[in-house]
Amino acid sequence: MTAGRFSRQSFLGKDSQLQIARCTIGIPGLGGGGSHTVQQFAHIGFKRYVLYDGDVTEDSNLNRLIGAESRDARAQTPKLHLAKMMILGLQPDAIIRGYACKWQDNPEPLRECQIVVGAIDEYRGRRELEIACRRYLMHYIDIGMDVHGEERPVIGGQVILTSPGAPCMTCMGFLTEEKLGAEAARYGNAGARPQVVWPNGVLASTAVGFAVELVTGWMRTARPYAYMVYNGNDATLMPSKTLKGLERHVCRHFSVEDLGDPVVMAL
Amino acid sequence: MNVAIKMTGRLYDEIRQDLERPHPFAFERVGFVFGKIGTASDAGWLVLLTRYHAIPDDHYIDDPTVGARIGPDAMTWAMQAVYHGRPAREGIFHIHMHACPGETGMSRTDAREMPPMIPGFQSVGRDAAHGIIIMSLDHGSGWVRLPGSKDLQSCSSMSVIGTPVGVFDRTGERS
Repeated sequence: MTAGRFSRQSFLGKDSQLQIARCTIGIPGLGGGGSHTVQQFAHIGFKRYVLYDGDVTEDSNLNRLIGAESRDARAQTPKLHLAKMMILGLQPDAIIRGYACKWQDNPEPLRECQIVVGAIDEYRGRRELEIACRRYLMHYIDIGMDVHGEERPVIGGQVILTSPGAPCMTCMGFLTEEKLGAEAARYGNAGARPQVVWPNGVLASTAVGFAVELVTGWMRTARPYAYMVYNGNDATLMPSKTLKGLERHVCRHFSVEDLGDPVVMAL
Repeated sequence: MNVAIKMTGRLYDEIRQDLERPHPFAFERVGFVFGKIGTASDAGWLVLLTRYHAIPDDHYIDDPTVGARIGPDAMTWAMQAVYHGRPAREGIFHIHMHACPGETGMSRTDAREMPPMIPGFQSVGRDAAHGIIIMSLDHGSGWVRLPGSKDLQSCSSMSVIGTPVGVFDRTGERS
């Protein structure tokens, strides 16, 4: 690490680069959102990664996949490879554990992270990721975007931070049985989801900001949870109204009893 | 095989607050913290700490030759807690603090007095992990005896999942 490399971010704290270098970040999904976060984490100085993505680069990814070039679509370069190259180009001594599969197919490495940043499409996948993060004690930061309507499209999205012991995505009103049920009913017929680069950039940057605050505590906010709602048409990112009243809220969806590997108990 | 310890920031603060309190006659405080196990990669393990038990003042024995010595009441409580934690495979860890910064390890007294406790815990809760944790002012080290093992293994790291996050790697270099 050269002396001046991080001089412009020295306000993060005296030992911040050491704290950043020691933290293991999990990123399941290296598409439009995940590729943004990988790039930023590498610039900031994160050195320990657990990455998952089994997809290869396609033409339709090039409108938003950070690090991908036209030749990667032709060569069908794995997204995992692009992410590794991006990190190693900035942090040659980074420790990257990469898996060309879904995280559910090899969940053990993810459990060793301190922070997981998820940029996945489905509500069900988010819920599975949050359950894993609660069970194995990890902060979870979720980002997602969608475009609604055809005549006057509206870009929406969210950045959510949840931490063990703090309100979860259900407490915050983001994950509901209605949403999960509607998604399950559409199973196999989700269609092509609109995705563009700039909202992903806003959401990923906000997620990375949350992660840096978690690791360095530079703002001294001690914020264990957040739910920011993005309106891409108005160019706004605002705290969700559903956070009201959660200051003293105790999450009833997860408990310390559920930590660790599930145990089968005889009745 | 790596073993890593994790705990929430809230639990870390609770432990620190208790262990930093002065005792009427002991030089330091000790406590018990409970943990459950999770499988990690490459046949490694995670120890996920769940809750802390502060030892009441009158469960200490006045022994000026050591920093703190706990009596039979505290040990009986611990053994019972291990017994009741068996269905959930919840183990117990003896925890205390060295009031210095940096990575810490077992003192000569620690190495003599504490490891002999662990087989007793394991005989009651054989499917859980038990061990020893020593905190410093800004670091922490752990030693774990896993189910079925007779070795007390040094943990590779300890993470505090709080605000801020703390990651204490075991390097073997003591300050």
